[in-house]
Amino acid sequence: MTVALNELDSKFKYDVAEEPGGENIKLCFACGLCTASCPVADIDPEYNPRKIIHMVLLGMREAVLSSNFPWLCTQCYTCQAHCPQNVNFSDVMKALRSMAVKEGYVHPSFADQIKEIDTFSQKLRHQMVLSIVARKSEELKADVEKLAKEALEKARKEV
Amino acid sequence: MESKNSLVGAALVVGGGIGGMQAALDLAESGYHVYLVEKSPAIGGAMAQLDKTFPTLDCSMCILSPKLIECGRHPNIELLSCSELVEVNGEPGDFKAKVLKHPRYVDVARCTGCAECAEVCPVELPNEFEQDLASRKAIFRPFAQAFPNAFAIEKRERPPCTLTCPAGINIQGYVALIAKRKYREALSLIREWVPIPGVLGRICPAPCEEKCNRKLLEEPVAIRVLKRFAADMVEDELSPPEIEEKEERVAIIGSGPAGLTCAHYLRREGYQVTVFEALPVVGGMLYVGIPEYRLPKNVVEKEIESIKRLGIEIKTNTPIGTEIGIKDLLEQGYEAVFISVGAHRSQRLGVPGENAERVIHGVDFLRDINLGKEVKTKGKVVIIGGGDVAIDSARSVLRLGADEVVVLYRRTRVEMPAREEEVKAAEEEGVKIEYLVAPVEILCENGKVTGVKCTRMQLGEPDVTGRKRPIPIPGSEFDLKVDMVIPAIGQTPDLSFVENSGINISSRGTIQVDPMTLETGCEGVFSGGDCQTGPSIAVEAVAAGARAAESIIRYINHQDLKEGRTVERKLSGVSFIPFGMARESRQKMPTIPVEERKVSFKEIELGFPEDMAIREASRCLACGICSECMQCVAACKANAIDHNMREEIVQLNVGSVVLCPGFDEFDPGPLFNYGYRRYSNVVTSIEFERMLSASGPYQGELKRPSDGRPPQRIAWIQCVGSRDESLNRGYCSSVCCTYAVKQAIIAKEHVPLELEETIFFMDIRTQGKDFDKFYRRGEEEGIEFMRARVYRIEESDGTGSLLLKYVGEDDKPSTREFDLVVLSVGLQPSSTAIELAKKLGIQLNKYGFCHTNTFSPVETSRPGIFAAGAFQGPKDIPETVMQASGAAGSVSALLAPARNTLIKKKQYPPERDVSGEEPRIGVFICHCGINIGGVVNVPDVTDYAKTLPGVVYAEDNLYTCSQDTQERIKAMAKEHGLNRVVVASCTPRTHEPLFQETIREAGLNKYLFEFANIRDQCSWVHMHEPEKATEKAKDLLGMAVAKVRLKKPLKPLSLPVNHSALVIGGGIAGMVSALNLAEQGFEVHLIERSSELGGMARKIHHTIDNGDVQTFLGDLIKKVKEHTKVRVYYNTWIVDAYGYVGHFTTEIMRYRGRVVEKIEHGATIIATGAQEYKPNGEYLYGRDPRVLTQLELEDEIARESPDIINCDNVVMIQCVGSRNGQRPYCSRVCCNQAIKNALKLKEIRPEMNIYILYRDMRTYGFYEEHYREARQQGVVFLRYEPEDKPRVSQERKSGQLLIRVESKDPVLGEKVAIDADILALSVPMVPPEEARELAMLYKVPLNEDGFFLEAHVKLRPVDFATDGIFVCGLAHAPKSIEESITQAKAAASRATTILAKDTVTAEGIVASVNENICSGCGICEALCPYGAITIDRDKNVAKVNEALCKGCGTCCAACPSGAAQQRSFTSEQISAMLDAILEV
Repeated sequence: MTVALNELDSKFKYDVAEEPGGENIKLCFACGLCTASCPVADIDPEYNPRKIIHMVLLGMREAVLSSNFPWLCTQCYTCQAHCPQNVNFSDVMKALRSMAVKEGYVHPSFADQIKEIDTFSQKLRHQMVLSIVARKSEELKADVEKLAKEALEKARKEV
Repeated sequence: MESKNSLVGAALVVGGGIGGMQAALDLAESGYHVYLVEKSPAIGGAMAQLDKTFPTLDCSMCILSPKLIECGRHPNIELLSCSELVEVNGEPGDFKAKVLKHPRYVDVARCTGCAECAEVCPVELPNEFEQDLASRKAIFRPFAQAFPNAFAIEKRERPPCTLTCPAGINIQGYVALIAKRKYREALSLIREWVPIPGVLGRICPAPCEEKCNRKLLEEPVAIRVLKRFAADMVEDELSPPEIEEKEERVAIIGSGPAGLTCAHYLRREGYQVTVFEALPVVGGMLYVGIPEYRLPKNVVEKEIESIKRLGIEIKTNTPIGTEIGIKDLLEQGYEAVFISVGAHRSQRLGVPGENAERVIHGVDFLRDINLGKEVKTKGKVVIIGGGDVAIDSARSVLRLGADEVVVLYRRTRVEMPAREEEVKAAEEEGVKIEYLVAPVEILCENGKVTGVKCTRMQLGEPDVTGRKRPIPIPGSEFDLKVDMVIPAIGQTPDLSFVENSGINISSRGTIQVDPMTLETGCEGVFSGGDCQTGPSIAVEAVAAGARAAESIIRYINHQDLKEGRTVERKLSGVSFIPFGMARESRQKMPTIPVEERKVSFKEIELGFPEDMAIREASRCLACGICSECMQCVAACKANAIDHNMREEIVQLNVGSVVLCPGFDEFDPGPLFNYGYRRYSNVVTSIEFERMLSASGPYQGELKRPSDGRPPQRIAWIQCVGSRDESLNRGYCSSVCCTYAVKQAIIAKEHVPLELEETIFFMDIRTQGKDFDKFYRRGEEEGIEFMRARVYRIEESDGTGSLLLKYVGEDDKPSTREFDLVVLSVGLQPSSTAIELAKKLGIQLNKYGFCHTNTFSPVETSRPGIFAAGAFQGPKDIPETVMQASGAAGSVSALLAPARNTLIKKKQYPPERDVSGEEPRIGVFICHCGINIGGVVNVPDVTDYAKTLPGVVYAEDNLYTCSQDTQERIKAMAKEHGLNRVVVASCTPRTHEPLFQETIREAGLNKYLFEFANIRDQCSWVHMHEPEKATEKAKDLLGMAVAKVRLKKPLKPLSLPVNHSALVIGGGIAGMVSALNLAEQGFEVHLIERSSELGGMARKIHHTIDNGDVQTFLGDLIKKVKEHTKVRVYYNTWIVDAYGYVGHFTTEIMRYRGRVVEKIEHGATIIATGAQEYKPNGEYLYGRDPRVLTQLELEDEIARESPDIINCDNVVMIQCVGSRNGQRPYCSRVCCNQAIKNALKLKEIRPEMNIYILYRDMRTYGFYEEHYREARQQGVVFLRYEPEDKPRVSQERKSGQLLIRVESKDPVLGEKVAIDADILALSVPMVPPEEARELAMLYKVPLNEDGFFLEAHVKLRPVDFATDGIFVCGLAHAPKSIEESITQAKAAASRATTILAKDTVTAEGIVASVNENICSGCGICEALCPYGAITIDRDKNVAKVNEALCKGCGTCCAACPSGAAQQRSFTSEQISAMLDAILEV
């Protein structure tokens, strides 16, 4: 498929740059360090920060704002800490989330749901780790799924 | 314009790297005196560290070292090494410069570089030249080929231990010597400050250890025990120093540590010393005050014995004061008296019962047992007091059999003055200590002690000593039942004998003296030690004894007692811990067990065994760096070392200053995710250079630092510390891509196995001349180029291998394992250069590089001060050399009226005619210290030399190159009528010019000299076979003698110089060159083919940083036209050219053949420029008017063409017609040109969509900022692959004809299409047709692409191999206006080195043709690279033009008949050498 650049919204990058956090989006020189450092990219081959930035720069407004990308970011700031051009990609993601809400691609409550998921998955991880720390010096075969189930049980009880 | 009088014909160059050297050489050759200021001990800079240079892979050191010698030996370059420029005042043309010369501690004129000093130096340091991959000594030469070839000592402030020691012992020195097992040397060093090291090594409380920097890490070095170790290890007596007897006598009263020390140092100076001692034994408190278990008597006796052996008279049992007084001593003829009677009188308790039997004061008690008197100690003993005497008494009385020993102290443990470890040891042995108890009365019955009445105390306010005052608690009295009481609450001197002698006594009962001189109120009488200070430590008394000795010597010699002395002791030294210093705990000295201790007076401490001592000594941090152990001084046979050198300020008067202080490498330590310094197999590029270098730490064997195994997978990571805004390193370092390619190519040569190599990069920036071909060569050799920025390096557990995480071509996170990773670190401004710039008031850019302007690229913001090299921005060697020459050109123009006013010209005696004389050969054979002499039997070789035919004189020298030997060679030449000289020593590369100079001074032709290299070729390579090495030395010498016999004097041609220049090409480069030369006063002929000046620049409107090109060009043209020294020839073609350096003739045709003229000139500059490539139909160029080249677009933008400035979509395609099979070079400027146009368009219409399709964005150096700016402005960059180039077609859409550009976008992974209103093609610059013609006429070469080929791509970037012809501007290669201006000035500067002279001297060793044999076959003519041989068609023989011949020998080797012969290398001479070696 050929992407016709003239048909895209070339103003998109300027709009992102206007959003808080999006200021440096255009400085990207596509070195790929963000993708190399991204823990989400490690588990999801479709998730690619460099490509997302490039899509913004090319003006792919709809494709970006309607996509899952802004929401899959865990906001760990690893990319941001290493970016040689100070693109501040974690913050760019925040800007894109806010634009997606503003422009009606998602319901305004969506951001809160994401927040809850973040907190809950943190709790889950916390519990999973705690359940094995007592056996730190033993060799364990990690049965992550089982640990997750137990953690989930525990979380339910707490609720 | 200033008048001639105010201009100074000298210049100062800062920095001895390749830039500084080039500037200095150009200026010196142009008639100026040059001061070359270099902060390190040697010139050479960063280039000396490189293994090879790209793209020709020359050995860096091989091409650099002739330059080092040329620069170092130039009569008009004055090198100030170890120096810094600190201040510049005055006006351009007449500056006063202040230079700080740091002490080198080695006299450069005397040092022969033999390296014996470094051999003995005990201080090992990381070798910074080897990037810390090897070590060096504190006395060092940065690298073997260093110039000056002299050592230097690195020192800091004296270490804190020495500064703390009252006697000022050089502690670091003896500790370092112990670490190297040099115990005798260590002991004799200690003896320079204290004569009783064994004693102090046992009892000194070691205040030095308190200040030891090692304490900051864990525990101080056990300095005291090491001192003892040195003393104990040397069983026999050190040989006494030679004493020069003097008549004066000195009396010393008291034989304690102060008296003995004073006696020792006075005696060493030859004075007659008598020591009067009241006791029957010698040693004072050392003998009678300290118990045997701490200080055995034999130790004291041994050291006293060695002092006595110097010839000192000691009168025991001779108290002064009873029979003879002090006055009597002076009257008896003693010139001076030193009172050091100590403090032996016990302080009394002042309580009732003190006089009872079995109350014995501590000092008296200790004295009694030390004198062997019987002391009864039974039952319970109470000691009163808390000092060392109290504890010593307690432990002694315990050993003598007391049942119970209790110490009563009126304060608490905290206030107790006794040393903590003594108190602890006492407690271990069973001594009890009662705190806050004081005696009120000693109870007795029948005059015998029965008990002590005590009171409990409490602490009140602090008293004058700062300790809390003890106050009795009322009603707390109690009685102790005891059998013996030992009060030990202090001692005072007994000074009754000094009454009525004029000596003042202080209120504390001590002798009053002048603290600086120790002189008492009575003239000629001095005092020190406990009797002057009150009870103190032994080392203080030793210090006083030494101080008094100094005073007494001055007094006897009627010198000022105070001059140059101080009282204060500076207690703080440097406080630091070297980076990465590992922890190592202090060695614990063995002692005898407590059980054994309690029952005997055997020495408790056993001292260090040897292995412990060495480990402990090795803990020393060498805070002063040089330990001043003086081993180097002893080893230096040339007497070149002077540890007393001080820094000095030198004031210089110079007309101008050139700054070439170079750069620093970026330190990747802070980039935590790359693990540099944590993982030993992650190295920087400069470390890798050293690892590759044959002279480097691994001798060129490529291996991993972690385990020494050869790596099989190497990765390079580019842009480490470059193109990184997060580190404030937003710029591109320009050189790293090419050097990574170079390293990868070289590494392949080092590893015989298949080597996998990957270079991780973002854009490959090989924009330099011929660099892109080099990049392709790398690809062809199998180097993988991975377009990715590596996120992280992690060590794979235990293997030393490294895991790199990155996103590669497949756009997925990947991890790959490598054995070695090279970080291509960027260049950053040198920290010292930033400081210098601040001091000089020079403007820097935001990164700290020197700010310059596009149109004045070598000028700093301060007039008269110029800059060159990496100080101005990251750049490679040729660009540095060009800038340096350019800066020299600017200086030369500024100072032209003062040219030749300050230069030195060497005068030689008239040359002796030796023709017709039989050979009388003198042979000088060098030992080079032990460098040669340690292996080759030099006297044997010398004897052999005397037997050789023609040799009338032969001698061996310790150093044949030393200054005094040069004088000797001249004297011997005269004495023996020598007419030939042979030296057998080191390498002709460094030393031949020196000896040739010497024989010229002796009136001999310099070619009557021959060299035999018996160091490199004998003693070094056959180090373990001395006999064979000696035989080979004889062979080599025999060959040299055989050859020199046949040598003839040569007379190099001296050619007159025509002082005018011809510049071909009237563009910016040609005009800048012409104007620079004209400003220097030389006549210039400027040849322009067209009818206008300006060249390519007429089409350029502004530079990328918005410089107004047309205004600059207009000014330049005006200046050129108006300058009286420049004659411009328009519409002019060159039809013929001939001649040689200094004397060229060029024939020109003007007005299309109507006029032919001849121009005579001394130098030629080719500046014929280039032109823009016009694509032939490619990408619709020429078929659609909306397809333009970048220059055409620039012109349209400048004209504000509505078609351009109103359009919505502009596409630019890079590398159109370049970096392809036809034109394999990168045109360097097109990326910047595209960005420049894009930015201009964005400025005019910000909403315009601009797409730049590129292969690698090559915005090198600070141009990277404009690339960033373009992105910020919204320019979209789309990369394409050369295999899948963009496609352009005309499309009709809604009635309009569109230009459709299609390309594959690798980031999106999709094809993209853009309908462009304008398509701009970035096309290369191509050389003009006339270049080929000119190259033929001037016999200079072109490269494959048709650009002129310089003599050497690194070091002679504007010269041709043919002398006197230079190139600059686009004729040389594509470059920016700024770079063209720089190169044009450089060419002018290089031309000046010829034009400024009246004559030039050609090479003496040239070819000659025997016309009788020559057949005129012409082989030589075809092969000569310099066009120096032509066939004379009339005679049909070859003729050599000696002015052009370089003596390369090609013709001689090729000549089938042997008619062509190289002078000084004739067949006859070579045969003689072969005969000589075959006969033997």
